[in-house]
Amino acid sequence: MYSFITGLFLLPLIVSGLLLVLPGKISKRIVILASSLLAALALYIFIYTTAPLYVKIPGYVNEAVAGADILLLVYFGWVALRKKSWLVGILTVLQLGGLLYLLKALPESHSVQFMVDKLSAFMFLLINVISGIIALFSLRYIEEEDCSAFRKKYFLSILFWFIGVMNLLVSSDNLEYFFLFFELTTLASFLLIGFRKDAVSVKNALTALWMNQVGGLAILATIFFIAYNGYGEATFSTLLAHTADKGILLPLALLAVAAISKGAQLSFSKWLLGAMVAPTPVSALLHSSTMVKIAPFIILRLSPALKDTPVAMVLIGLTGFVFIAAAIGALAQDNLKRILAHSTIALLALMIMMGAMGTPVTIVAALVLILFHGISKCMLFLNAGVLERVFHLKETSDMDRLGESGPFTSLVITLGFMSLLLPPFGAFIGKWLSIETLGALATDKKILGALVMVAVAGGGAVLSLLYFKVMGGLISRTGEQDRIRFERTGPFYSVTIYILLGLVLAGIIGLPLLLTHYFAPVAAQTLGQPVPVITEGWNMYVGSMRLPIVPLLVAFFLLPVTIITALFIRFRRVDRASEYMCGEKLNYSFSSFYFSTDRATPYFYAAGILFLITLLLVALI
Amino acid sequence: MKDVLIPVLLILLAPLLGGLLYGFERIVKARMQRRIGPPLLQPFYDFLKLADKRRMMVHSTHAFLGIMHFVSLWFALAVLLLGGDLVLVIFLHLLSTSLLILAGYSTRSVFSHLGANRAAISVLAYEPVLIIIAVSIFMLNGTFDTAAVFTGKEPLLYKMPLAFIALLLVLPIKLKKSPFDVAEAHQEITGGVELEFSGLFYEAVYTARWLDYIFCYTLVFLFAGSNILLGIGLVVFTFIYLNALDNSTARVSYKQMLRFSLGVAGTLAFINLLINSFS
Repeated sequence: MYSFITGLFLLPLIVSGLLLVLPGKISKRIVILASSLLAALALYIFIYTTAPLYVKIPGYVNEAVAGADILLLVYFGWVALRKKSWLVGILTVLQLGGLLYLLKALPESHSVQFMVDKLSAFMFLLINVISGIIALFSLRYIEEEDCSAFRKKYFLSILFWFIGVMNLLVSSDNLEYFFLFFELTTLASFLLIGFRKDAVSVKNALTALWMNQVGGLAILATIFFIAYNGYGEATFSTLLAHTADKGILLPLALLAVAAISKGAQLSFSKWLLGAMVAPTPVSALLHSSTMVKIAPFIILRLSPALKDTPVAMVLIGLTGFVFIAAAIGALAQDNLKRILAHSTIALLALMIMMGAMGTPVTIVAALVLILFHGISKCMLFLNAGVLERVFHLKETSDMDRLGESGPFTSLVITLGFMSLLLPPFGAFIGKWLSIETLGALATDKKILGALVMVAVAGGGAVLSLLYFKVMGGLISRTGEQDRIRFERTGPFYSVTIYILLGLVLAGIIGLPLLLTHYFAPVAAQTLGQPVPVITEGWNMYVGSMRLPIVPLLVAFFLLPVTIITALFIRFRRVDRASEYMCGEKLNYSFSSFYFSTDRATPYFYAAGILFLITLLLVALI
Repeated sequence: MKDVLIPVLLILLAPLLGGLLYGFERIVKARMQRRIGPPLLQPFYDFLKLADKRRMMVHSTHAFLGIMHFVSLWFALAVLLLGGDLVLVIFLHLLSTSLLILAGYSTRSVFSHLGANRAAISVLAYEPVLIIIAVSIFMLNGTFDTAAVFTGKEPLLYKMPLAFIALLLVLPIKLKKSPFDVAEAHQEITGGVELEFSGLFYEAVYTARWLDYIFCYTLVFLFAGSNILLGIGLVVFTFIYLNALDNSTARVSYKQMLRFSLGVAGTLAFINLLINSFS
């Protein structure tokens, strides 16, 4: 097992190095081979991980990690100087000062650096499978990018670098190691967002850098306060071992801040919205399998300690607010990638909320959301890439002819949006579990529960309006185009999307099985208490929650099957009528209605900052 | 046996009952306007006449989505009557509405698109209110199952009067009654989503409406719990109220509708939720 895990750590990093030096022809094969190998490794590790596995590493690695930390910060300092960004500069100086102080002040007594449990293995599977698919997609996408041959190799190289760092991050127990990998993902996203090197890219990359550095700083502060409060070594296990203590509240709150910055919750949402200037596979990577998923991961890791603390309460309030704010913000958007980014923020809020509640059902809900959101979002973003490259479309209001020119792409995007919204898709199940458990929270913590409930219900309705708006443009056709012929988009594009579509549909059919054998064991180990999933007749019970199977099965036939059939079905012996225009000749733009909600954005940011301050205050008092 | 038989019968007869209700409604509405109105069975005569018309459609996708709207609505109603999970019922109803909205978008008809846009906004207007009501019911019963409501001792109405008022305020949106009939608005957008359906295919959308009646009145009936007399009273009251409202008000714009529904009905339901969570 150790060797497999080491393989998962080192393979992407080695591939990353190889891609830089090898010629393009071979690198294509390496990417295909490495992605499938990584997926297989992750699957193997997931199946065979039972008890948490602790990995102790020789002392000199600690020195290397400290060295790497300092090198990284020096690089950030150099970036700050070169780009004249004083924010990055100040944060780097603070981080460097904090790090040097900690290295000097803290005793060198590391017992365990890495811990691989079921939650890590769950994340491995998400990271390696989805990112592998994105890497395959990028092979073709980056070929068409307007840049030098070396930059193309460099792009793929960072992609694998990112995968490797993510694998290390989700398995580190020691917070000093966690800090390094956290900062390395920041670095990777900085490089990827700034890939196109134009003014906007550079600006947005710097925004991403400093916002995530705030998270890094919060981790350093966590390490300091754990030692200061006398808990000894700064690890996740230490925090979880002192669950009921008052002293861990501040470290928890600080780690929550780190999660919020990575997860682009308010008021850090700007970096994720700016990240869309990068090539589309980067957005897919950041949104679905890496980067932002660190946020729910941190919260899930801490959930046994967080549960029922004031920190968790503020976190639940914040995420409830973010959910509705992001949904309202999304209404004003026209660019497809921006719409997707807003919906990511909203759903991340839901995942963090579920993690912070920390009951068996909510943990299962969070896991379901993490996985299925990853698959659906990846599919949607890759399709956004296809739209850009093949159809040259970016704004949803221009997509009203897509139903005629690209029926397959429009069908997949429609299904993707539906999978985020409606039964019986996995992401819907996650949302449904959330609403049902929020009701349970409300019986316990009355006002908070009621408020969050309303936010989720309202935000959900706003999001559904938004998705309809997008789907509406995508599926319209005139009567003459009754026969559908799917377009061809090239093997790397179509194969990756077929795989993702298959995963989405398999998620529906296999859900009962997945719940018992996939999500429940992970949740049980994360919480340290059993999560019973029982099938009784036509009902399934997750903890105290009942899932009726029959309505869900019927819903499966009603929705995806209906949408697909609707495209192909032909009624014979029916006469055609053209559309009724009321005798008028007018030019109607089929782009949907708009709401301008941009005015509210500054208020949202202000409220977000208030929440952050409250988060730290409740931990101090 | 009896507690299964009645719902199953209701489910099977739902289109018929809905049709009768619609026929009766047309009479009541006419009498309110001092007209005599059509015979009670007029909806069914219309039904037969439509079936006999020349078959026409814009394209197959559009026609098929209309049919599936009917099927999925019937299913949502079945889950509701069989005592299923209320949140699931609301989502299934959203699913069926979404198929109709998609049908509206699938053609290149101006009015159909406008109607679909407005229907989507209507969803935004009533959906949060319904979910808040569902959560208030959860607070009282500890479960989302409507079965628990149907067998509950004390009617919900006594504990959730504000939620009932909120429901009354959003029902006109759902049933496309004035002043909230923006999604249909015959004088402006000639029926909206329904416009491009004709003949046999319109039949599906037409009868889906009858099902929607039964769906909404079942929601009203929920507030009486196991008290059947009170339930009938509530349904009759709602029926008269809806028609009186429909006859006496003018259509508002969709923005006004949204503001009213989320501002007033949403607030009422929310206050009720708070009261429920403290008692």
